[in-house]
Amino acid sequence: MKNPLLITALLITGAVAAWGILDTAGLARVASELVHALFKSRAWFIMLTVTFMLIVSLWLAFSRYGSIKLGKDDDEPEFSTVSWLSMLFSAGMGVGLLYWGTAEPLAHYIVLTDGGADAREAANQALFVTNFHWGLHAWAIYALTGLIIAYFGFRLDCPSLISAPITKVFGAGKFPAVAGWLADLLAIVAVAIGLGGSIAMGVFQIKEGVDAWLGLEGTGLGLMLTIFALLVTAYILPLTVDLSRGMALLSNAAMAIAGGLLIFIIIAGPTHYIMGGVTEATGEYFWNAFVHGFRTFTFMDEAAENWFHSWTLTYMVWWLAWAPFVGVFIARISKGRTIKEFILGVVLGPTIFSVLWFGVFGSVGFYAALNTDLPILELARSNASAITFYVLNSLPLASVTVLAVVAAAFLFVVTSVVSAAFVLGMFSSGGNLNPPVRIKLIWGGILGALGLVMILSDSIDAVKSIIALGALPFVFVVLLLVVCLLKALKSESVNAK
Amino acid sequence: MSYLIDTIMNIEIFAFIGLLVWLYFKPVDGDDT
Repeated sequence: MKNPLLITALLITGAVAAWGILDTAGLARVASELVHALFKSRAWFIMLTVTFMLIVSLWLAFSRYGSIKLGKDDDEPEFSTVSWLSMLFSAGMGVGLLYWGTAEPLAHYIVLTDGGADAREAANQALFVTNFHWGLHAWAIYALTGLIIAYFGFRLDCPSLISAPITKVFGAGKFPAVAGWLADLLAIVAVAIGLGGSIAMGVFQIKEGVDAWLGLEGTGLGLMLTIFALLVTAYILPLTVDLSRGMALLSNAAMAIAGGLLIFIIIAGPTHYIMGGVTEATGEYFWNAFVHGFRTFTFMDEAAENWFHSWTLTYMVWWLAWAPFVGVFIARISKGRTIKEFILGVVLGPTIFSVLWFGVFGSVGFYAALNTDLPILELARSNASAITFYVLNSLPLASVTVLAVVAAAFLFVVTSVVSAAFVLGMFSSGGNLNPPVRIKLIWGGILGALGLVMILSDSIDAVKSIIALGALPFVFVVLLLVVCLLKALKSESVNAK
Repeated sequence: MSYLIDTIMNIEIFAFIGLLVWLYFKPVDGDDT
């Protein structure tokens, strides 16, 4: 066999896609049951892992290793700090923030008030947990994975592979080789399935946007499949030619639209209410985030436990699924920065932006729920994908802003899939920085098929379960990589003496 | 029975954590620490 890793990865992801297309409900049910069983027995381990990653990242930043450069000692950063931070936001934002901006705080609010919580207190709590899901812990997972890829790639001249730190630190013996091969395989599976979910979420959102913009109703699967076909057409071409500059431009355009939207909502919405919500959420989040990282809801009832599984744990595993892909991206743009600069930039910068984003979008949603007669909570119960557009429709210039969100969602999905197909091609061709077009196209096809499976499931919960199942094994890989990094840093510091 | 499955699934985790600790302290070729 010429490339056993590529063939095995294609067989696994292809089998998941085929199963999902032939029996969508069956795959969704099995994924949900397996994920529930794994979450039930391993919740403590997942929470400890993500909190451990946050502690290790912050410790590395302020330890004696903080001054080590991600590159040779005389390497300088390629991008200015402002441009670097902007690219970080863009990598982590994706379509998720557009989708969940208002929908997630409202979803938690509904659960809390259904359980008898006071409405005002529930709004506060709902914003806090949303920020927890998108904040420091999420970015610590990305930061540590990116740091490992950048340190081994730029400083120790290893190929950009998930297996590289393992074989570099433990040698090229039989066991490190097998562990490294498995790590590459698990990373590929996690990225492919995670990105499939992202395509589905993008399609759900764009469909609702088109419905809202054109005033359509009951368009269902037909419109989703049309949007899906357009997305696939839009990302296939960039896979055949080198359009890295063009892709960066499109990604920045999507980011600019999102930033413009944020400013527009602050100005056009109930400004004092939004800014009050942002301020409250910021204090609440940064004060309580660390302790919350240890919460496992063990002593709560089954409803609270189920909520914890389907939100907090799913998110944490979701970030792990994206980590190899986002990690490669942030490593590539961070050459020449010190470990301290890297960690503080990657962990704090996007977290602050996320707290602002959810503070603004969440507050505007709570304003509608608590101070107007708009039926936003009913909609949040029945169709989360439509919430962002509902909020925009309640503000001026709705036809422009709805179209802007549709365009941004489209651009985010296209740029993510193109980058993911590149990273998957790289991982499955021995770390080749210019993977063959044929391999990128194969991955583009697999990502499309996985996306189609999740669109056919027509359920955001099914999408979450399938992603979690693909990513759970990667928890072990990340921890092994952290050990490799700590050993390599210790060794470098001893050799330097 | 459910306790047994739960125990087995957690023992895997304990073993993995033990393995990581062992790997961290294990000297490797060329390591003079």
